[in-house]
Amino acid sequence: MGVVFNVENLSFKYPSAKDDTIKGITFDVLEGEIFGLLGPSGAGKSTIQKILIKLLEDYRGSIKYFGKDLKSLDNSFYEEIGVGFEMPVHFSKLTALENMKFFSGFYKKAADIQELMERVGLWEYRDLKVGEFSKGMKVRLNFVRAMLNNPRVLFLDEVTNGLDPKNARIIKDMIAEFRARGGTVFLTTHLMNDVEQLCDRIAFCVNGRLTETSTPRDLKIKYGKREVKVEYMVNGTTTSSTFPLDSIGFNDEFLQLLKTKEIETIHSGETSMEEIFIIVTGVELK
Amino acid sequence: MSSLKRLVAGELKRLVRYKILPVSLATAILWIVLLLFLSESEAREAAPLIIFIDVAVMSILLLGASHHLEKQEGTIRSMLVMPVSPGQILAAKTISSMVLAVESVIITSVALFFIHGVTFNYILLLLFVAIAGAAHAGIGFVLSLRSKDFTSMLCLLIGYMFVFIIPSFLFRFGVIDAKYEWLLMISPPHSTNHLITSAVSGEFKSAFVIAGCLYLIILAAGLFKFAVYPMFKDNAVRG
Repeated sequence: MGVVFNVENLSFKYPSAKDDTIKGITFDVLEGEIFGLLGPSGAGKSTIQKILIKLLEDYRGSIKYFGKDLKSLDNSFYEEIGVGFEMPVHFSKLTALENMKFFSGFYKKAADIQELMERVGLWEYRDLKVGEFSKGMKVRLNFVRAMLNNPRVLFLDEVTNGLDPKNARIIKDMIAEFRARGGTVFLTTHLMNDVEQLCDRIAFCVNGRLTETSTPRDLKIKYGKREVKVEYMVNGTTTSSTFPLDSIGFNDEFLQLLKTKEIETIHSGETSMEEIFIIVTGVELK
Repeated sequence: MSSLKRLVAGELKRLVRYKILPVSLATAILWIVLLLFLSESEAREAAPLIIFIDVAVMSILLLGASHHLEKQEGTIRSMLVMPVSPGQILAAKTISSMVLAVESVIITSVALFFIHGVTFNYILLLLFVAIAGAAHAGIGFVLSLRSKDFTSMLCLLIGYMFVFIIPSFLFRFGVIDAKYEWLLMISPPHSTNHLITSAVSGEFKSAFVIAGCLYLIILAAGLFKFAVYPMFKDNAVRG
């Protein structure tokens, strides 16, 4: 698996800021993975994304894109990446289709606009001005905009924020399919559902620093409660007991319970990503 | 179609959709109505002022309106992640702003010809309008990029006009001696007015015309390189 981005000791300071917004972070984004960057508002996630998409250039440290210095790349870099902004970025007085055709016209390899818009349920609204779109429709159009050039690497910022569960599912499916075709995704979000359902690896970002980078599974194993909770019926009332996960097969009390009681539910002590985030960073997501 | 052509085509389409071109045309129609009530000599006298207002004031206003609409919509940020340079985006916006100025000049010139039979050196006028239009597009960008919204941009524009136009008025009414006109050429509106008046009246002070052209060209280049370009990118990234 190739390395899409190799980031080493990256620091960045806005001209008007007193301190660095990004403070010496190091990470890799691997080809074909969905890399999630998690953090509360103001943690520096968007700044990191802006640096990786070459909107901010006066950074310190090293960033390699497929082995080449990011600063040395010209505008053809944008032929390979797709960017889905959190905020709507379309001309409100133009129709959805006019917007997509305008942006699409600048790329050498353009995707099928109709296919993309149909997939996200916007084709029937193609002749409606974007200004008349709901927030959810604008979010979906942002995603189509990001996919217009059949990108190799997709940057998505809060991609499902403001979407109903059905449309969020469609977008997540499309992201998963993009990854299955070999695409790489850099996802910044504070939505834990997206992280759990999509990301292969995640990094926690707090105050411009990455506190931990790992897979969701490894984090759950590392920070999860190693216990099993059993709910069962006793005289018509639901009762629960918790047992340590270690050597559960030799726990007589647990085994006796399974044999003798009417079991309602059994759950391992799953720790949510939000809980893990708080443990790792000491900061609550906002 | 090249990226610049595509960007310019997009700008022109949006000038229509965002009602900026129709507003510019409506202003031109107002000038035509005004010209109908003037005699030939009055119209000849008023022509440079009308063209000056279109080139030096209206183009800044319309550019500011367009900029702040796009700022609200975040579209500049989306354009910066396309395979085009910020310079190309700025060039397209400048060209579309100059199209507005040229469109007004053409309509006013045609109206002057058909209503009063007034003609002048059109080639020279278009050349001067293009030079002054580029410089005022630069000034318009600086004012737009320096302001939070359209209202604050209007305040900056009023301040700018006050500072630079009052001396020209004082000169016109003889308060400032003619020997100091060289100094007044530092004022972009004064240089613009001098060039337009020269083209319309056919009376040229060669040294002033050459100095005015060179000054506005250098001003436009300097503004775009050292102020507009860095501010534009910074503004677009911050949103």
